[in-house]
Amino acid sequence: MSVDLEKILRPVDNPMPPFPPKYMTIASGEEMVIRQVSRDEIPDILPYIESLMHVERDFYDIVAARVYAELMAYYRHRVQDEYVLVAQIDGEIGAVVNGRMVNADVGMSLHTLALRRGLRIGAHAFAAKMEYHIDIMKQKEVLIVAESPIGFRRWMIEYNLEKRFDTPHELGGVPSWALTRELFDRARETLVVGRRPVPDKLLEKAYAAILPPSDPPTPPEDLLAATRSRYDSTGTALMAQRWRQEGKV
Amino acid sequence: MAREIYAYKCRKCGHLHYPYRMVCKNCRANEHNEFDPVPLPKKGKLLTFIHLYSLPPDFEVPKLGLGIIELENGIKITGQIKILDPKIGMAVKGEVEIVRREGYDEHYGMVFYQV
Amino acid sequence: MRQVYVIGIGITTFARLEYPLCEIAAYPAMMAMKDCGLSGVDHLYVANMGGGRVNHQTGLASAVVDSLSLTPAGAETIENGPASGASAIKQGFLAVASGLHDVVMVIGAERMREVNNLEVTDFIATLTHPLAEYIYGVTLPSLAGMFTRLYMDKYGVTARHLAMVAVKNQNNALLNDFAHLHQEITIEGIIDSPEALTNNPYVAEPLRFFDCCPVSDGGACVILASGDVAKRLDKPLVRLAGLGQATDTHTIHERQEPTDLLAVRRAAGQTFQMAGIKPADVDVAELHDAFTILEIVESEEVGFFNKGEGHLALERGETSLTGELPINPSGGLKGRGHPVGATGVAQAHEIVLQLRGDAGRRQVMDARIGFTCNFGGFGNNVVCLTFIRES
Repeated sequence: MSVDLEKILRPVDNPMPPFPPKYMTIASGEEMVIRQVSRDEIPDILPYIESLMHVERDFYDIVAARVYAELMAYYRHRVQDEYVLVAQIDGEIGAVVNGRMVNADVGMSLHTLALRRGLRIGAHAFAAKMEYHIDIMKQKEVLIVAESPIGFRRWMIEYNLEKRFDTPHELGGVPSWALTRELFDRARETLVVGRRPVPDKLLEKAYAAILPPSDPPTPPEDLLAATRSRYDSTGTALMAQRWRQEGKV
Repeated sequence: MAREIYAYKCRKCGHLHYPYRMVCKNCRANEHNEFDPVPLPKKGKLLTFIHLYSLPPDFEVPKLGLGIIELENGIKITGQIKILDPKIGMAVKGEVEIVRREGYDEHYGMVFYQV
Repeated sequence: MRQVYVIGIGITTFARLEYPLCEIAAYPAMMAMKDCGLSGVDHLYVANMGGGRVNHQTGLASAVVDSLSLTPAGAETIENGPASGASAIKQGFLAVASGLHDVVMVIGAERMREVNNLEVTDFIATLTHPLAEYIYGVTLPSLAGMFTRLYMDKYGVTARHLAMVAVKNQNNALLNDFAHLHQEITIEGIIDSPEALTNNPYVAEPLRFFDCCPVSDGGACVILASGDVAKRLDKPLVRLAGLGQATDTHTIHERQEPTDLLAVRRAAGQTFQMAGIKPADVDVAELHDAFTILEIVESEEVGFFNKGEGHLALERGETSLTGELPINPSGGLKGRGHPVGATGVAQAHEIVLQLRGDAGRRQVMDARIGFTCNFGGFGNNVVCLTFIRES
C-alpha cells in the first residue's frame, strides 16, 4: 500500500542531460571543480548549509534556509526535475547552486550559495548553471531572481536581464528576470568559462567526498549583535569578548 | 532650444574656467560672480577613457563609457562616451543630453561620439 | 614648536563590524589608553567621513568623548575625505606642539558597511565634483581607471604590475591579525589563468576587481604627547617629526599634467623638509593603495623611485616585506581594508608598531624612520607624515 502512495506523491522526473564536470583556476591559484551531485550525496551537503541559516548578514539566513528545503525536496523525491551542482576545491565544498527544468524551453534558476568568499567562486558557479540551462539542456531562457543586492548587481545589471515581472518566480512569487539565449550568447565570454575535461586526479578527489568548508561565513558570537547595535548605543562589546578569549587583552 | 555646457570667462582678465569657481584662477582679482558664460565647443580629442562596470544605483545599464576630452579651445571636460572602440587621441564630437536621472530630476551633460 | 611623540596606539580588526560607529571609535581609544597607562587626555580629535550620511550620526567626536568618559575635555570631528585620519593627526600635532595641550588623543573610525554596497559607492562618489563629474556617473574607481589607462600608455605599467601590488599586499595582510582580508591570491589566479576574467573582472576597465581595496569598518587610535610625558614612559620614543599637506584641483580633468600627483609630491616634500630627512632615509612606508596603481605612482611622487620607474622597482622586489624599502607591510588599504576615516590613523598605527619593533611576523628589521601618505579625494588633498624613532 505504501508503495502505491509513494507513486502518487512522488513526481516523475523528465529526462535531463547530465552536467559535464569542468574545472578552473581561481584567484588563489587553486583549482576548482564544478560537478553535479546525485541524490545520495545530498545528506553530506545538508549540515554545511544548516549552519549558514544562522548567519544574518548578506541574506545568508534566508538563502540557506531555502536551499536546505530545496535540497531536502530533491533528496526526498518531492520536487520535479531539480538539479544540484557543487563547486569543490581540493574536495572541499566552495559553493552550491541549484535549479529546475520547468519545461523543455524554460529553466528556473533557484539559488547560488557560496561557502567560501572573496574569490568570486559564486560567479563561476552561477555561470556554470546558466551554461547548463542554455548550452547543455538547450533551453530558450532561464528565469532568475535575487534575494540580496549583491546578487541583483551581479546578475540583473551585469547581464542586462530582461524583466519578466508578470511571471512569478517559484521562490515566493516575486517578479522574475530572464536570461534569454540571445543575452547568453552576447555574454558567452563571461558565462562559459572553465575547461573540460577535468584531469583524472582532480575529478577523483572531487567525487571521493564532499569535504566541509574550511572558512565558511559564521554568525557573530552574540546572535543579537546585528540587530542590537541598531537600538543599543552601548553595543555588545563583541570585540572585547573575542580578544579576552584569545588572550590578546 | 539647444542646450549648452558653459565655461566661465573672468571679466577682469578673460581667463576661461570649467567648471565654475568663485575666484579666478589666473588673476584672483574678480568681483563676486563677475564671470561671463561662454558655451563650450563640441569638438575635441579623447585623452583617456574607461568602461565602468560597477555603477551607481540609478544607472540601469551594465556598463558605462566615461572619458576625459580636450576640447578645441584647450578646456578639458569629463563626459560620457558612446564609442564602440575608443582610442587615446581619437577625434570626438559632443552632444548635450540627459546623462543621469535621480528620481524625477534629469541631469544634462556632454556625451561624446566618434567623429 | 615643541616636539611631539606618539605614546599609545590601538586598533580594531578591520572587517564588517556589527557595532555602532561610536563603539568602533571608542574601542581602539581604550586600547591606546591601556598602552600608555594614562586615564585622561587633554583633547580629542575624531576623524570620520561618513558619520552623518551613512550612520545617521553627526558630531561623532561629541558622542565619543562622552562614551569614553573623557568629558569635559574638548573634542572635534575632522573630515577630510579619505585623508581625515592624517588630517586629525596633524591637528593633534599642532595642539601639542603649540603648547596648548600636553596629551591629545586622535581616533579614526568608520562604519561603511552599515549600508549596502551600491549606497557605499554613491557615498564615496560624493567626493567628486557635483556638476562636472558626479552627474556623469563618475565614481572613484572610474577616476582611478582613467588615470591608470594614461599611466599604462605613458610609462608601460601593465595589468601584471597592478596584480603584483595586489598579491604583495594581500599576502602581507595574511601576517596581520587586524587585516580585513585573510585570503592568499596568486598572479596565476588573477592574471594568467584562462578564467582570470571571471576571477578578476573589470570594475572600471582597465582597473580590475583585485586592484580595488575592500569596503571595511574599523577604528584606530594614536595618543600624542609632549616630550616630558613621553620620556616618563617605558617605551621606545617615537617622534612625529614631520607633516606635509598640499591640495590640487577638484576635478581631475583640470590637473596640470594628467599623470602627475602633484599634491603627493608637494606634501611629501614638506614633510621630509620638516623632519630633516631625504626620501632615501625612509626604512618603511605605508602608502595609500585604495587602487593598486596608486601605490606605484605614490612611490614615485614621494621620491622613493624615479617617475615612471615605480613598477620596475616593484618587479625587482624592492617594495616587498624583505626588500630594501618595504611598502605597506600591514597589507596596505588593499589587504588591511579601508574604513575611510580610520585609514590615516591606521597607517600611523602600523608605522609606530614597526618603529617600536612590535610588528611580529611582519616586522621590518631595524626600522627607524617611517613615512605615511594619506590621499584625500583623488589626489586633490594629500597629507604626509614622517615618524622617527629616537631611542
